[in-house]
Amino acid sequence: MRLGVSLRQTEDELTRNMLASTASQVNCVNGTNGDNPTELTKEDVDEVVKALLGADAHMFLSGISGEDKFGTAPVRNAYFALASTDLSGSLSNVAGFIHQSQYPSQDKVLDSEWGAVGNLRFLLSSIGSKTASSSANGNDVYNVFCVAKEAYACVEQDGASAQFIYRPAVYSGPLAQNVTIGYKFAEVPRILNDAWVSNLRCTLS
Amino acid sequence: MSYGTIIQQGRFTADGSSKNLSIRSDFDWIKVYNETAIIQAVANLGAEFYFQRGMTNGRGMVNTKLGAVANDPMSLGQIAASSGFTLLDTSGNPLSASVAITAATDVVRPIVSTGSTAGVVAGSIVRLSSMTGQEDLSGYDFAVDTIVTDTSFRLAAALATAPGAAATAGNYRVVNFDPLFYPRHRFITNITQAANAVVTVSVPSGYKVGQEVRVVVPTTSQAGTSDFGMVEINGLVGTVTAVDDTLATQTVTLDIDSSAFTAFTFPTAAKAAVALSKAMLVPVGIDTATAIAQSQDLLSDATDNQGLIGVKLAAGNLAPAGNANDVIYWVAGKSFSVDNQ
Repeated sequence: MRLGVSLRQTEDELTRNMLASTASQVNCVNGTNGDNPTELTKEDVDEVVKALLGADAHMFLSGISGEDKFGTAPVRNAYFALASTDLSGSLSNVAGFIHQSQYPSQDKVLDSEWGAVGNLRFLLSSIGSKTASSSANGNDVYNVFCVAKEAYACVEQDGASAQFIYRPAVYSGPLAQNVTIGYKFAEVPRILNDAWVSNLRCTLS
Repeated sequence: MSYGTIIQQGRFTADGSSKNLSIRSDFDWIKVYNETAIIQAVANLGAEFYFQRGMTNGRGMVNTKLGAVANDPMSLGQIAASSGFTLLDTSGNPLSASVAITAATDVVRPIVSTGSTAGVVAGSIVRLSSMTGQEDLSGYDFAVDTIVTDTSFRLAAALATAPGAAATAGNYRVVNFDPLFYPRHRFITNITQAANAVVTVSVPSGYKVGQEVRVVVPTTSQAGTSDFGMVEINGLVGTVTAVDDTLATQTVTLDIDSSAFTAFTFPTAAKAAVALSKAMLVPVGIDTATAIAQSQDLLSDATDNQGLIGVKLAAGNLAPAGNANDVIYWVAGKSFSVDNQ
């Protein structure tokens, strides 16, 4: 892996693990796959959105207005749902799912965005969170972190934010044979308001 | 640091449970000396232990002092499976292999029958799944006690109500380490109706007095009513006034008056036949006034990455973490080259 990618993914993994350890959980219960939690459904999304709205949580994104373009649909204002790329197939089966290719305006699509269900826009990552063998039937459980604005933060210590350090060979010794490259950082991810983040747990459909 | 050197050493007094050693730079070999066993008055205790890369994970070698007085002979042997040194890297999968459950009793502290208790000691955490007859316990993590070797163990935390039926089959996996960040959420098995609600959790919480937690009790289900009873407490934030992490007690006392609330019930297997969420405690911060009054650390609620690279020492007569009150020394090192063929 490229070292710069490793640096940013490590930051993401720490935040992911903090949310998995400390955020409140709610199981998807409206699916039909016979497991607990079930697969993701529109009803489960609506329950989480209702809870975030009830906590006066602010949404990240405003909506995308409908346009007269074939096959597109308006997109609601939304919270973020951070999840694993393993859920890409399951999401397509959720009632009301709008793939990002169907947004009326493509310049509003985020890099990692897969699509939207109700008031959640799903951002998928290969390092998205899952808890091994944790469902009632022993299957992996996927943690979908539904987050509002300022639900959590990454606190960086003064002078210890991420540094990418390259040392040319001249520093290695009299024969200048080796270069070194590495990174370091010291930061702490932290939930700021527990009512503004919810871990919606689901299994695959 | 040059290789071929001792990189870390230390000492601890055993408490009768397994011990995790954090060795950040990793290690290639480790020696453990049980000083109490060496000067023992009791015969046949493991005194000296050794493990190096290439040996079977979970085992190692043990020198057992055969007699009860000085200069008695030592006997070298292999440590029993899962009773020695287990490599730890908390960035990996915390679960061991799945083991079959053959039965579980229908009482508030179910006794779980299994053909193998390898790696299970008092205080171990197990994750239950596919519990036929006790679907309400599937997906939960439980600390266990009362282990009968290769026969059974008991779920240590008392449920508010028995599962509703005996289990006839299922699976468990040992959870070798907690989620990475402290303070962690915990699943609720019971809440008392009292002026200060006492919450029992399935795994000891690790919370400190003064910390604040939000109580989450699902208020609805597919049947339309709560599976857990005490819906009035859902969403309330309470300050922790007492913590008892003793195995089989595992309680957190809150400054929430639940005396007039509906009684808490643990969902029955019949209710869990359809999917449901779990009741849980979610740490949210700290009440500084209470923490100061109780002489507690004001930052005890700080989000703390407790990940480690190191080794878990198993406890027991012939295991490196010894028995309660044993004084144990250890030294770990790194080799210049490891050539395991």
